[in-house]
Amino acid sequence: MAGGASATAPSTYSPSPNQKKKPPLFKDGDLDWVRPDGREFHQCRPAFFRTGAVNAAAGSAYAEFGNTKVIVSVFGPRESKKAMMYSDMGRLNCNVSYTTFATAVRGQVLDQKESSSMLHKALEGAIRLETFPKTTVDVFALVLESGGSDLPVVISCASLALADAGIMLYDLVTAVSVSCLGPNLVIDPISEEESYQDGSLMITCMPSRYEVTQLTITGEWSSARINEAMQLCLDACSKLGKVMRSCLKEAASASEES
Amino acid sequence: MEVDAFRRLFPVHYYERHLSESIRPMLDPWKKPEILLCPSVGAAASSDGSALAKISSITMLAAIKMEVMTPVYAPGEGSIAVEFHMPPICSPVVRSGRPAEVAPVTSGMIDLKELSLIKGEAAWMVYLDIYSLDADGALFDAALLSAVAAFSHGKIVPALRFRWEMVMVSEELEGEKLDKEPVNKERRKLLLKSIPFSLICILHKNHILADPTFEESILETFMTVVLNSSGLLVSLYKPGGPVLAHTSAIQECVALTRQRMKELKEIIDAAISTMEID
Repeated sequence: MAGGASATAPSTYSPSPNQKKKPPLFKDGDLDWVRPDGREFHQCRPAFFRTGAVNAAAGSAYAEFGNTKVIVSVFGPRESKKAMMYSDMGRLNCNVSYTTFATAVRGQVLDQKESSSMLHKALEGAIRLETFPKTTVDVFALVLESGGSDLPVVISCASLALADAGIMLYDLVTAVSVSCLGPNLVIDPISEEESYQDGSLMITCMPSRYEVTQLTITGEWSSARINEAMQLCLDACSKLGKVMRSCLKEAASASEES
Repeated sequence: MEVDAFRRLFPVHYYERHLSESIRPMLDPWKKPEILLCPSVGAAASSDGSALAKISSITMLAAIKMEVMTPVYAPGEGSIAVEFHMPPICSPVVRSGRPAEVAPVTSGMIDLKELSLIKGEAAWMVYLDIYSLDADGALFDAALLSAVAAFSHGKIVPALRFRWEMVMVSEELEGEKLDKEPVNKERRKLLLKSIPFSLICILHKNHILADPTFEESILETFMTVVLNSSGLLVSLYKPGGPVLAHTSAIQECVALTRQRMKELKEIIDAAISTMEID
């Protein structure tokens, strides 16, 4: 739509000062460094959730974890143009997109297709697809600002939006990621920490059922560290699950009163 | 037949029956449309000015980002690139991959000469991105409001010439004496010359509905009037539709826009003054 203007648009650059090689967050072997936002290694950012952010959608949620802000809308169950054949099971369609100002560099595209398919895999284990045969549920996520640990926030926010839309779920889905920075494990990394990480582990689980829907590991990990990281994540996930439930309860009681 | 079923099967008749009694069925009569303007919300960290505007349930987030370019259109002027995005979260009819249909108008609000850095060599290009977060009615009003608010929040940072490029002066260096003189001295706000205000009305037979909701949008004839702060007409847009507008209808719409302008002006002034206190 903006094709005419952008075809002749001049090329621009951002006038930020030169990116010299930044000093690393910590030196090798130093176990005492402080995280840039002052948190402990095993402390997550405070989570803020609100359902009903978008009126036009069947269900929606807004999540804010520090500087990472995400809105997710759920539409459906509704008819889908893509599905040709009859199916006993419903279909789930996920899409994650970023605003142009989500990152410091304008228009930097951040792997949207991969995030979309990971969101799909994380959610499909928790949704009772047999309750909406022949139809599709669309889950759309928009990352307003990317402050690190985006995909876990998107997944948690999406499951809240699905609950808000009344789609039947086995349980809420919560996700937390852990970064490996040298000898330390830090939970819920911010973008600066993610850029220095040696490896990352993300768990998506259903806290009440104590079941994992998705586990993603990148980098080099020994089995002992994997166990430690998994335990950290599962604890954080159950706490996050409690926060999400209380948010849903508040929203439900508020709508009962009005 | 039940009212709800009638509303879904024969929407046009449903509205006509109500309009002939001068009632707008979708609006709660006691609630005034709420306009919330919060500058510096959301992506303030990575953009140079942002604002969220909410009219009833239509939500728009606008952010501006300033980058440097060599001036193309005239040597002493910068330029503005406006992009309107409708991400799929905002409405059930938008599918990802489809381009947006509504495009707001920039109307001489910003003096482009202000955006120039070094004449002939470098100028600011302002990227304005407007995202609709909840599309529940006529979008243009909220989009324009959020764009205006984002601009009033925007600041031009000082920049100096470094070899062949412009480099931003970071905040620590602002107070000190620098080897090279920065081209523009301090962080200053973008000056807005005259702010545009708009109102969308729907014309249907001999009724005029101001600020329609999404369901009312099926009555297809829209008219958008944009006035600037001195009450002069900036733009009038009536794209076809089954109803033809007499001069009297146009004059009424302009009068309604004037009323709306007073409301919006108060809100924008309040928002700008709270910003300056920060």
